[in-house]
Amino acid sequence: MTPRRRVAITGIGLVTPVGNDAATTWASLLAGSSGIAPITCFDARGFPTRIGAEVKHFDADSILADRKLLKFASRSHRFALAAAEEAFRDAGIRPEPSTNRRWGLSLGAGMMGIEFSEVAAVHAFCARDGQFDPEGLLHGEFPADPVAFCRSQTNSGLALLTRHFGIQGYATAVHTACASGGQAVGTALKVLRRGLTDFVLAGGYDSMLNPLGVSAFCLLGALSTDNDTPERASRPFDVTRNGFVLGEGAGMLVLEDWNAARKRGARIYAELAGDGNSLSSYRITDSHPSGDGPIQAMQQALADAGLVPDGVDYVNAHGTSTVMNDRSECAALRAVMGGHIDRVSVSSTKSCMGHLIAAAGAVEAAVCALAIRDGIAPVSANLVQPDPECDVNIVCGESRGMNIRVALSNSLGFGGSNSSLVFRHPEDVSAT
Amino acid sequence: MSASRRIAITGTGAVCGAGVGVDAIWDAVVNGRSAIKEISSWDASRWPTRLGAEVTGVDNRALVEDRKLHKLVTRTDLFGLYAAGAAIQRSGITGHRETLTAEALSRFNDRSGVFVGSGGGNYRSNYEFFPLLTAANGDFEKFGRELGENVNPMWLLRILPNNVVCHVGIRHNFKGTNGCIINQCVGGAMAVAEAAAAVRAGEADRAVAVGHDTPLEPETVLHYGHLNLMSPDGLRPFDRERRGTVFGEGAAAVLLETMADAQARQAVILGEFLGSGCATEATGILDVRPDGDGLRRAIEIALGEAGVSPDGIGVIVAHANGTPASDASEAQALRRLFGNHLPPVTGFKWAFGHLIAGSGALDLIMALCALRQGIVPGIPTLDSLDPEFGPFPASRAAQRPRSDTALVLCRGFGGMNVALVVRANAACAGESATSSRTGGLK
Repeated sequence: MTPRRRVAITGIGLVTPVGNDAATTWASLLAGSSGIAPITCFDARGFPTRIGAEVKHFDADSILADRKLLKFASRSHRFALAAAEEAFRDAGIRPEPSTNRRWGLSLGAGMMGIEFSEVAAVHAFCARDGQFDPEGLLHGEFPADPVAFCRSQTNSGLALLTRHFGIQGYATAVHTACASGGQAVGTALKVLRRGLTDFVLAGGYDSMLNPLGVSAFCLLGALSTDNDTPERASRPFDVTRNGFVLGEGAGMLVLEDWNAARKRGARIYAELAGDGNSLSSYRITDSHPSGDGPIQAMQQALADAGLVPDGVDYVNAHGTSTVMNDRSECAALRAVMGGHIDRVSVSSTKSCMGHLIAAAGAVEAAVCALAIRDGIAPVSANLVQPDPECDVNIVCGESRGMNIRVALSNSLGFGGSNSSLVFRHPEDVSAT
Repeated sequence: MSASRRIAITGTGAVCGAGVGVDAIWDAVVNGRSAIKEISSWDASRWPTRLGAEVTGVDNRALVEDRKLHKLVTRTDLFGLYAAGAAIQRSGITGHRETLTAEALSRFNDRSGVFVGSGGGNYRSNYEFFPLLTAANGDFEKFGRELGENVNPMWLLRILPNNVVCHVGIRHNFKGTNGCIINQCVGGAMAVAEAAAAVRAGEADRAVAVGHDTPLEPETVLHYGHLNLMSPDGLRPFDRERRGTVFGEGAAAVLLETMADAQARQAVILGEFLGSGCATEATGILDVRPDGDGLRRAIEIALGEAGVSPDGIGVIVAHANGTPASDASEAQALRRLFGNHLPPVTGFKWAFGHLIAGSGALDLIMALCALRQGIVPGIPTLDSLDPEFGPFPASRAAQRPRSDTALVLCRGFGGMNVALVVRANAACAGESATSSRTGGLK
């Protein structure tokens, strides 16, 4: 049989609450700078949580001179388009007429397509008394906007990216809540191995920092309410943590066949070496205290990469800063790593940039690739009083210079989907 | 090696306007009964179309027994959970599982995947914020303050696009690889393709694939109408007078497993999943290429993966959504690929409307029924074939499949095209109680 295809990460693009490109984001994460501040994109004064991790000073027009396209792009679509442009530039390769049918797209797409202004307009015309009456939609002045309808489709991000960059092969958009970005990158790996494409743009985008999104998580009591100390609000693994901080942004990777990347002299950040994917099938939001679910995802990802737990140097944890996630994830890590656990450096970069929901897994995959390139594990910020039930080797205080040969990233979603990805140092990949 | 694992289809389940259960839906299709009628869930007399294929007269408890679950999910999820449960039940794996040791059972569960094509968010869910918006009366601080008193605290969990993945997992203890595809119309077809790919690659030993959606709501019909995608007077695929599509609602699911496992436990094998193809035309949100280039490429990839030549295809179940542009480009792609050797072409949306994310999975199941019964149902709403297509073997009258293999097509926003290739299991073709029915075949 022919050896399984290897997959190289050759391009990275990021738009995050701590930087509007990959270099700025990475520098902020290494410095432990927080991107969390009072919410400015709507009036959140009355909400229990009034802080968030917003993307700041973002100007899509300066990155993508295509005003017609941008009309069809929501805020999170713009993050995705900008991150993709950066990733292609970084990789030094992009779809061309001779290759565009061999390019694929795998996206972790945001959950909420319908914008709040549309909901408010329907309310104004159809539900003044609180109850929906469809007749109002037929009112002559109802601002039915076909462009807004187009923006709100589940696959409009996919449609905009494929159109703008000319990707004509396999294209998918997935959503398993917080596991979306990880599963999208994992899907890309499988699609490349299946030989369906030679290149994939893989990533995730999301923005739930709007009145409905923040309401949704406030209602569940999932968000930190440390409104007076926003930069300290996200503190994964700390015994005083009290919820996650909602963020927004996009992360995009250019993935390609390893040998082809080598042949064209591409700079390779890391090998995307393994994917693990499981379903907890326990409860919709709760994770099993034993770590059942994430355990299988991590084990699968390592086996898929042909590695044993002893090979892992760094784990970018899901680490949301909720009691349940952090404890369950640490239990899973202990179960998987066994006696090696103390030698694995663990951090949650959500401590600085908050939780990017459908984008999180993709952004954190990029973080792992950068950690391997620079030999440095980014700090898990704000850890002052470690939770004794999260007894793992957390990168606290400052980022940790170390030789990272293998990194692993977890993304664990509402609904019980778990994604683990494994990344290998490019020097450790023997020529095939 | 694992990449050559063959994929058996051992369970199917479906619900839509044409019926609850695969047999009921097939019976409607083969006898030319359409479920498209006047929309009843709101007064649609002034809407761009008054038509839809609603699921009516079905008690939610008949779909999903567990009443607690009804509060945790939305209508589209109930359809998806019903279809998945029916497919799993039909496959017989539940009984098989009871024979396993604890250790084997744990492995069995970890090796059982769930792939779902979901419609994603709908407009209706957001209406739960209307009482709060009224109470706040433009005062945003008040909106935040009174949030807890006015909105169901579980709101987000009810609207998760991946609810069917989650609850199929919990109800059936499937704990393996999974995915939730939100790719508008092609979600269900891609769920089947991904489930098959996962089993083929050895990432799972079996997987249930589901497509579900409920596009029939006032805002969606209105917006589609403004874009000239809705037919005011019925869904007439490939007809010269076709004017657009009509929505349906519902779900469909298949249980896929390795052929080796299915044979070892002596399961009833309904068919074999042979291959899939996927391509986008990169034409943006709404446009399709007139030459059907993306569809043609998706079919070529699927035939290649299946190892089937165009001559080996016995019937084509077209997307056939009844819009002028989609049907015309679909006919173009088929003509280019098959030339003058097109096998019988049909489509089923005239019977149960366009289920959007649910459509591809339901069409696949109907294709399997058609092959197993040896009947290609006609299209009763096809009065006069569009002469632009040239010779094109779609007809009002039923036809016979040319072989035991079907090509199923699914297209959607984003220039998306998916093709699936499936073969009916001839060895078991006589096992169904309804196999002798020939109604509709003239």
